[in-house]
This record gives sequence, structure tokens and C-alpha cells, in this order.
Amino acid sequence: MISRWMYISLVILFGFLLGPFVIIFMASFGANANLAFPPQGFTLDWFANVFETSQFIDSFWISLQLGLSSTIVSLVMGMPVAYALTRFQFAASGMVETVFSAPILVPGLVVGFAMLNFFVLLGDMHVMTGLFIGHTAILFPYSVRVISASLRNLDPYVEDAAVSLGANRLRGFLLVVLPNMQAGIAAAFVLGFITSFNNVPVSLFLSGPGVTTLPVSMLSYLEYYFDPTIAALSTLLVIFTVLLVQTAERVLGLSQFV
Amino acid sequence: MIRRPNQTRTVILLVAPAFVFVLVFFVLPLIFLLSQSVLPEDGGFTLRGYVDFFQSRVSRVVYLRTLKLGLIVTGICVLMSYPAAFVLARMPVRRRSFLMSLVILPLMTNAVARTFAWLIILGRRGMINQTLLSLDLVENPLRFIFTETAIVLGLAQLFLPLMVLPLVSAMENIPNDVLEAARSLGANRLTTFVRIVVPLSSDGLVLGATLVFTGSVTAFVTPAILGGSRLLLMSTLLRQKAVILFDQHAAAVVAVVMILTTLAVNLLLRVLRVQQV
Amino acid sequence: MPHLEIHNLTVSYEKNKPTLERFSLNVEQGELLSLLGPSGCGKTTTLRSVAGFIRPDAGRILINDRDYTRLPPNQRDIGLVFQSYALFPHLTVFHNVAFGLRMRRIPKKEVHARVANALKMVGLEDFSDRRPAQLSGGQQQRVALARATVIEPQVLLLDEPLSNLDARLRVDMRQEIRRAQQQLGITTLYVTHDQVEAMSISDRVVVMNQGKIEQIGTPEDIFAAPETAFVADFMGFDNHFSAAVESARDGKLTVNWGGAPIELRWHSKFSAPQPGTKAEVFFRADNARLSAGTEARGLAGQVILHTFHGNERRYLVETELGEFSIMQDSAGERFEPGAAVTVQAQTQKWIAIFEEMEQYA
Repeated sequence: MISRWMYISLVILFGFLLGPFVIIFMASFGANANLAFPPQGFTLDWFANVFETSQFIDSFWISLQLGLSSTIVSLVMGMPVAYALTRFQFAASGMVETVFSAPILVPGLVVGFAMLNFFVLLGDMHVMTGLFIGHTAILFPYSVRVISASLRNLDPYVEDAAVSLGANRLRGFLLVVLPNMQAGIAAAFVLGFITSFNNVPVSLFLSGPGVTTLPVSMLSYLEYYFDPTIAALSTLLVIFTVLLVQTAERVLGLSQFV
Repeated sequence: MIRRPNQTRTVILLVAPAFVFVLVFFVLPLIFLLSQSVLPEDGGFTLRGYVDFFQSRVSRVVYLRTLKLGLIVTGICVLMSYPAAFVLARMPVRRRSFLMSLVILPLMTNAVARTFAWLIILGRRGMINQTLLSLDLVENPLRFIFTETAIVLGLAQLFLPLMVLPLVSAMENIPNDVLEAARSLGANRLTTFVRIVVPLSSDGLVLGATLVFTGSVTAFVTPAILGGSRLLLMSTLLRQKAVILFDQHAAAVVAVVMILTTLAVNLLLRVLRVQQV
Repeated sequence: MPHLEIHNLTVSYEKNKPTLERFSLNVEQGELLSLLGPSGCGKTTTLRSVAGFIRPDAGRILINDRDYTRLPPNQRDIGLVFQSYALFPHLTVFHNVAFGLRMRRIPKKEVHARVANALKMVGLEDFSDRRPAQLSGGQQQRVALARATVIEPQVLLLDEPLSNLDARLRVDMRQEIRRAQQQLGITTLYVTHDQVEAMSISDRVVVMNQGKIEQIGTPEDIFAAPETAFVADFMGFDNHFSAAVESARDGKLTVNWGGAPIELRWHSKFSAPQPGTKAEVFFRADNARLSAGTEARGLAGQVILHTFHGNERRYLVETELGEFSIMQDSAGERFEPGAAVTVQAQTQKWIAIFEEMEQYA
């Protein structure tokens, strides 16, 4: 059923998908500062430059804190929603699902812009708080969807079994449901963290003086400098992501949730 | 799903915290945005902002360009994904899951890093210009950056995985028997692909097209880097109005037009999907 | 005094559309009672109400004369075996079975002894470290049974416990459940849609339809003497026809069969019918005999279809009373489609049901 030209299409697909990464990788070791291709020589200066540029280091920590806190909060609040959607039949379930998928449907840049205007209206809000709220809101769809998928894989009657054996509902959930959702929770966590960590559109408006996420500071660096520092930083981020995703994929089968 | 009578209170308790969060911090800001777009700071209710938007040549050009590039990107993604997705869907599970993680990888890397690669490829002294120069095909380097081609390439590379993933999962569900049945009834490979595989995977196609198109018309990073202020799309226009021109009213109009566009596309394609069932 | 009493139980998922309506039932100490019926008849709703997962709109549930109606399910002391087994995937067989004992804060030593005992009863003493995913369907079923009985519950409830097993395993497990139930002397409610399963395992069978009881009785009673057309149909009476009663006396009535009267019994619960009463007559495929050609006695018919089943042949025969499915010993004469035959009634196991007493005809 599969002919040779179909395999060629596969090669083209992966060439187009992954080729840019190869180029970034090569450029980050090249000695010429003007990004001419092919790169001449070999240097690690650009990597050193990444670590010497304080705006990258500062924004990395901010992105890390932001990613962890918004992912955890969106999971803690999203899990009960996923539970309600998968374990109960109720009239408003369609409405609830729509509300919790809305944050992906609305363009991220618009979300950030609308939130900024609204927060200004609310008064003096700390920049970090604004970023945290924005990121948490856009992570709900992922948390609810991934956790729902993992709950659907678990026989709903195991909770009833636990209750019939003498556990109350909460204990049944803690002793029987939660341990079987570990993979789903971990997958949701990885997915949520990466989504937050890479987000530009929502962060763009919500960032403020001195408080900027890593991708936004990469973007503003590009406005002033055009050298392989960004390539080096990108290489580091790709390696970081590959390790994270490969581990998650191997341990959890991440692709089934995306 | 287990049916339990009288569980309304439990459901409300479970859903309420997140629901209130989304309502206050997501829905309310959007309502405020909507009101900003029809209530300029110096006056009462007016649709002036929308009239201005569609009467101004600049914003009309930007809007149409955004839609046009979105369509082109979607088309490129469909063409590149379809046959490849079929090959992926028919592979042994182990090899497939490895390749699928390679498809996902770009999705998990930030857009700035991915778009930056195109600067190196398309730049004045980039890969393509150096190749053309060394082959003596051109005398002076060509300008690729800040062109529509650059934006299309960048966006296609960015959103290709969003087309491949739904297509593969739709095609995985086509049983091999069905394809063999078609072959046994006299269809050749191409006919089988066109008459069996394509209709049976149309759900994935529609979903993928929705994701790619709405992603393309709202993306910010790629048009910001590869288009800049010379070649504006809706997203970069929004930023320009809000941050550089400080015109929150006009920016709100652009934002609402973006929301309405993505909602319209989502609704349209949802209708398409429902009709096929 | 019955061990488990259900009084006028009413449950509705939707307003004014009760799944169960004023349903009452008594189960004796140590009895195994089956709830038999098609899907949607209310049997699982009954079971889940007894377990406490459904709060009834009206009615009461008593065990040992104690009112259970408002008691939360985790305080009921009831063992429940699920259709899907509902084993805890992350726990070993041992910890699955020990779960209920842990909830009851039984000392560790006793837990070990009782779990070991329960696993021995179901023949899984060597599997206590396995995870559910590493067990076959039949083994998982046994773990579920051990888990539900190890807590020595007042009442054991089984919800279609065998429907996920293949046919042969089902027969084995049936016997195993029955043996364990008798060994423990535990009052048991068993839900199934399979009449053979219900008959082979139960002390008594309740046939249910649309939230109401059609008939209660021993398996023998229900098999031989259904009270309603629904039960007759459900209990495998393949054939039926309408007839007018000609006469009735001494517990026998007569109806016309190919020009001559045949004598039939009717259910002892009903009084003697008047001549002219309409009756629905039911018989199974193996309670009639075919002979070649048209005979003076018997009902004339024509063979439409013949299928071979090893020891028997099954014929579809068209007669003036309708099409009948009739089984014959395959050693006997074979009739081809189109052949003229005479159907001889073997009426000892036939039964007549009267229309005016029939609610669901």
C-alpha cells in the first residue's frame, strides 16, 4: 500500500521539521559573528555569552518559577474539573467544557493584551502576579484535557469498589484513583510546564520592567543584536527540551495526550 | 460513565474554583476588551473603531494578507503531511512512536529559537544566498527576510506538527482490512488512497487545518521576526497600535477582529466535521 | 424473618420516568437469589441501591431488620463484585484483597491470615504478588470474589460477574461462585441477563422487566411454568400461538391442534378458564415431533429451512398456526425444504397463558 514516493514525502517532512534545528546547532559553534553560512571555525564563545548576559539568566529564573507555579496551580484546580467531567453526567457539562477549552481558542496575544488592560483597571498589580494569572488561565485546557484522558482510562467502578470495601469517597480517591493517575499527572505537568516556558504571546504584554520571561527577552535581544548568541541559547533549550520530552515520552507515552 | 442521581452539589464544588478563576481572570478581561473596542476613552458607545478598521487601507491590507498567508500555510502543511502521515500511521508501533516524538519536538521548543533558524537560512549572508552566489546564479544577495515567503516558511515549519498529529491519529484508526478490501475490489494504490484513506481521515484533516490556520493568523513571534514592522500581520499590527501608537481603542478593535476570525473559522470547520458524521 | 428486605423501592434517574417502581423483594439468610432480565429492566439499579450507590426516591432497604436506606455505602458492610471486576490496577493481588480489611483497621497479622485464606478459597494462593494486569480474566474474577468476601459481609452482591469471560470459563466460574457462596453461607444477590446462568446458580430467580417483577420462583418452577408471556419468551420457549380454550376441567384445558383437541396444563396460580377464553400457548423446539407426509392426527405443515447441529436438526416449519422452530434427533429421518410434514404435539411440557392475566403480551 505504501509506495516509494510516500517514503520520500516522509524524508521531506522530517527535513523541513528538523533541518532548522541542525542549522541552529551549527551556527552556535561558528566563529563568525554575522551569521554567515556556512559557519567558519569553532568557538564556545557564544555559549559563554549566554551565561554572561544577565537578562537571559534573570529571565530564565522567572520563566522557571512561572512555569512551575502556574502548572501546579492549573493542575490542582483543573483536576477536580476533569474528575467532574469524566465521572458525572450533568446538564452543564458541555458549557463547562467550552469554558475550559476557551483559553486555547482565543489568540494568546489577545489574551495578554486584554489581561493587561484589565489588570491596569484593577489597580497596582505586581508584574509577576499578572504573568502568573495569565499563564495559569492558558494552561487550564491542557490540564483538564490530559487529566480527563487519564481518568477515562481508569475503570470508574474502582472507586465504588473502594467505597463498598469501607473507604469514604475522599479516601477512595486518594488511595485508588490518584495512584493510578500518576502518569497522566506527570504528562500534564510536563506539557503544561513546556507550554508556559515557551509562551511568548501572553507574556509579551504582561511582562514589565525587569520582569521578563526567557522567550520574550530572546525576542527583544534580537531587536538589537544579530549574532549567534541566540543560536547558542536555542541549542541549550533544545537539548533541555529533548531530554525532558524523550524522558516523558519513554516513561509516559506523552504523544497519546498531545 | 456512572449515572448518579442528585450529584449537583458535588459537581458545583468540584468545578467552582477553576470556573471562578477562568471567569474573573479570563472571561472578564475579554468582556472589558470588547467594551474598550466600542467605548473610546473620550466618548460613548460607537462602532467607529470597526468602521475605521475596515475603511483604512493599511489595516484592510494587513487583514487580507494575514488571511491569505494563513491559507497558504495551511495548504502547504496539508500537502506536506498527508502522504507522510499515512506512512507514519502504517509503521510498527515502536518506530512510529520514536518518529512521533521527533514530530512533537519542534512543538516543544520556543518559537523564537525556531524562527531564528530562518534568519540564518534566509539572511543576506545566509545559506540560500551563499549557495546562489557561489553558483553564480545571482550577483548580489537577494532579500528574503521581511518577505511573505519568509513568513510562510516560518509559520509552516512552526505549525506542521499540528497537522501531522491529528492526521496520524485519524489514519491509525483505519483498519488494514479496509485497505485490503479496496485493493481486492480492484482499486489501485492511488485510488485506494484517494477514495478510502482521504475520506476516512477527513476528521483529522479538518482538525489539523483548524489548528494550523488559526495558529497562523494569530502567531506573533514569526511575523515579528521575519516580517517586522515593514510587513505587518494582524498580531504585529495589534502590538504596534498598543505599544508604539498607544491607541488602546484601535488595538482593542484589532484584537476583537482576531477573536472573531478564529471563532468563525472554528465554527465553520466544526460544522464541516459534524456534517461528515 | 428475611435477611435482606426491599420495600417499595422507587428510583428515577429522570423525573416521572422511574427505573424502579415500588419494587419489593425478600432474600432469606444464606440464599442465592438472581435478578434476571434484559438490560434496562432495573436489575443493576436494584443492586446499586442495596450497595448504597443510589439513593432511592422512596422505599426502604433492611438487612437483619436494620434500616440501611440512608446509610452511606462505605458503612454498609456489603461485598460487591463488579462486571468489570474493578480491581485496583496499582495494587498487588494481596493488597487488593486486603483493602477492605485495612479500612476496617484489622490487625496486620489477622489481615495476612484472612487474605491467605480467601486466596486459598479461590485457588490463587501463589499469585498474591501479581498485579491485576498480569492475571487472566478468570483469575481477576477470582480476586474480585476474594476481595468482596474476605470482609465477611452481611450480603454479597454480584453484578453480571461472568459477562466478560468466554463461554467455557463461565461454566467453571459459575460453579466456583456457587461453591464459595454455599461454603460461606452468605446471603447473595446475583444480577444477570443470562437465563442459563441464573437457573444453574440460584436458589430462587426473580425475572424482571421494566422495573417490575414478572415472576419469582425456583429455577425449576420458572423453567417449567412461566406465568407471563415475557417470562416464557425469556426462558427459551421458542414457539407460541394463540388459541381459544374449548373446555377446561381437572387442571387440563383443551385447544384445537390440526382439527383435533390437545390437552394442556395451565399455571396452578390461575383459576380454571371459561370456554372461549383466549390463550397463548408456548412450547420449546424439542417438545414436538415431525413425521413425513400428512397424517390424520396432528398439524399439517411444510418445511422451510433445515439446519444441522450435530446431535439435532432444527427445522423451520410453516403451519396454519404460524411458523414453528422444531428440533429433532439427527439420527432420525431428514426432511428437505418443501417437504410436507405433520407436527405432533408432545404436550407434557407445553403451557397455556391467558391473555386477561397477561400485562405485557
